[in-house]
Amino acid sequence: MREYINIRRFLKDRVVIIALNLASMVFMALFLLSAGNSPDTVLLVIGMWIFAVVLYFAVSFWVRRRYLMEIIGLADRLQEKYLISEIMEKPTRMDDEVFYRLLKSADKSMLEKVSEIKQEKQDYKEYIEQWVHEAKTPVTAMRLICENNKETVPRTLLAELERADQYIEQALFFARSDCTHKDYIIRETCLEDIVHQAVAQNRQLLIQNNVRVEVEDSEATAYTDGKWIAFIISQLIQNAVKYKNDTPVIKLAIGTENGNTYLTISDNGIGISGDELPRVFDKGFTGTNGRNGENATGLGLYLCKRLCDKLSVGLSVSSDSTGTKFRLVFNRNEFVIN
Amino acid sequence: MADRIMLIEDDKTICGELMTLLSANKYEVGVVSDFRKIYEETAAFAPQLVLLDVNLPYEDGFKVCAKLRCRFDFPIIFVTSRNTDMDELNSIMLGGDAFVTKPYNTAILLAKIASLLKRAYGRQESAVIEHNGVALRLENGCVECGGVKAELTKNEQKILYYLMKNAGKICARADITEYLWDNRIYIDDNTLSVNVTRLREKLAGIGANDYIKTKHRQGYLV
Repeated sequence: MREYINIRRFLKDRVVIIALNLASMVFMALFLLSAGNSPDTVLLVIGMWIFAVVLYFAVSFWVRRRYLMEIIGLADRLQEKYLISEIMEKPTRMDDEVFYRLLKSADKSMLEKVSEIKQEKQDYKEYIEQWVHEAKTPVTAMRLICENNKETVPRTLLAELERADQYIEQALFFARSDCTHKDYIIRETCLEDIVHQAVAQNRQLLIQNNVRVEVEDSEATAYTDGKWIAFIISQLIQNAVKYKNDTPVIKLAIGTENGNTYLTISDNGIGISGDELPRVFDKGFTGTNGRNGENATGLGLYLCKRLCDKLSVGLSVSSDSTGTKFRLVFNRNEFVIN
Repeated sequence: MADRIMLIEDDKTICGELMTLLSANKYEVGVVSDFRKIYEETAAFAPQLVLLDVNLPYEDGFKVCAKLRCRFDFPIIFVTSRNTDMDELNSIMLGGDAFVTKPYNTAILLAKIASLLKRAYGRQESAVIEHNGVALRLENGCVECGGVKAELTKNEQKILYYLMKNAGKICARADITEYLWDNRIYIDDNTLSVNVTRLREKLAGIGANDYIKTKHRQGYLV
């Protein structure tokens, strides 16, 4: 914005006044000369005139420039730039005040619109949460019916039920992913327990795909929200099963490195090609693996990344033709520990 | 005497299925029929443990829990589909002993019930189970037959435990696998076969030949 404040622009805006002054000067000079004044006197008068005009323009440019720079500086320091009309001083000049009033009313109508949309979004989020909880009741009932009639109910039904539950869960976490602090509580969490929880959530899927799961024993803890991490691990496990090889093995390991706790989920699946690797966390990205038959939504990993960002957990991926490895790094926050 | 469990759950299907599940696991089950008289009905049933849903008509589960806590000290397990940490924290602060989210894994629910009953009333599972002259000692994982002992690995121990618990019934391979998974032993089908074969060899070694029978296409039986 600062580039618009220069002397040429300033003078251009005042070209009529300048022209008027110049014309007056010429007329004045002619008049004075014809009235018998010496050229020296005329030159002196015109010189004084020019001096006064230049001085006036210089000072008023300087004042105006300082005023505008101040407002720009004020806006720069603001995080929400639209609040500028709230904190800038009410201008005294007529046209300034008109623009000031316009800015204010524009802000007001925008804020109304924004809060309306915020409210709608909040309502929708609450509806999704409510829906998730209601949808879980019949899923629970179905699951209990299956478990009570194990002999007659095919295992594949249990697996489908598990899948339905995972999709419901995904909707819940998607709704939660853009809202902040309210939905999670950071506590010291035993990661091994969380890993076992995530495996249990995918029990039927893993058993039916004949997956061998190896979980390394570990006492390591991290300050995080267990439910979110369990969901993330669960998503990664489902991906590992989706893109598996003939003899699938999923290894989950927990360890510490430079004071940070990490968790790795590695599989021996078909892997992700190097040029697609940087984009796997993008929304809607399915890649060649996803297009080759499996019903990829391009949502799972995107959601994982989003949730990790919210929890300040580092999520990275490495892959080659022998498998894929996801790594979650939990930073030890000194502030929490002290 | 069987432990008595009170169900405070308003979904009829879930209530019925939970009754079936808990009865099958040798608990005596009571249900609340009138949700305006939860306290009276609970007091009348005098349960050893309560399963409490959060979403209830008239009053939510947290309030019910707080009120029950004033008069009773039996363990209370919250079962709910609301799985926010806030709810979990609430339930614990109001005197709940455990928090299980829907849709629950029945094995985990049963394990929670058993461990809470054990903690509250000192119920002990017997350390030895016996069937057909073979005894499995749970504390050291040894199997004994006619005075001869053999040591079992963790996997073999769990497999034998499951078969002996269900003695006389045919145990499907899938059921055994699921049981092992519930106990954090994540094995595939081949590994199960290998483990059963080894277990048979060990049993034969202590004189229990052909202890585990194979029922073709159905599973195993002791």
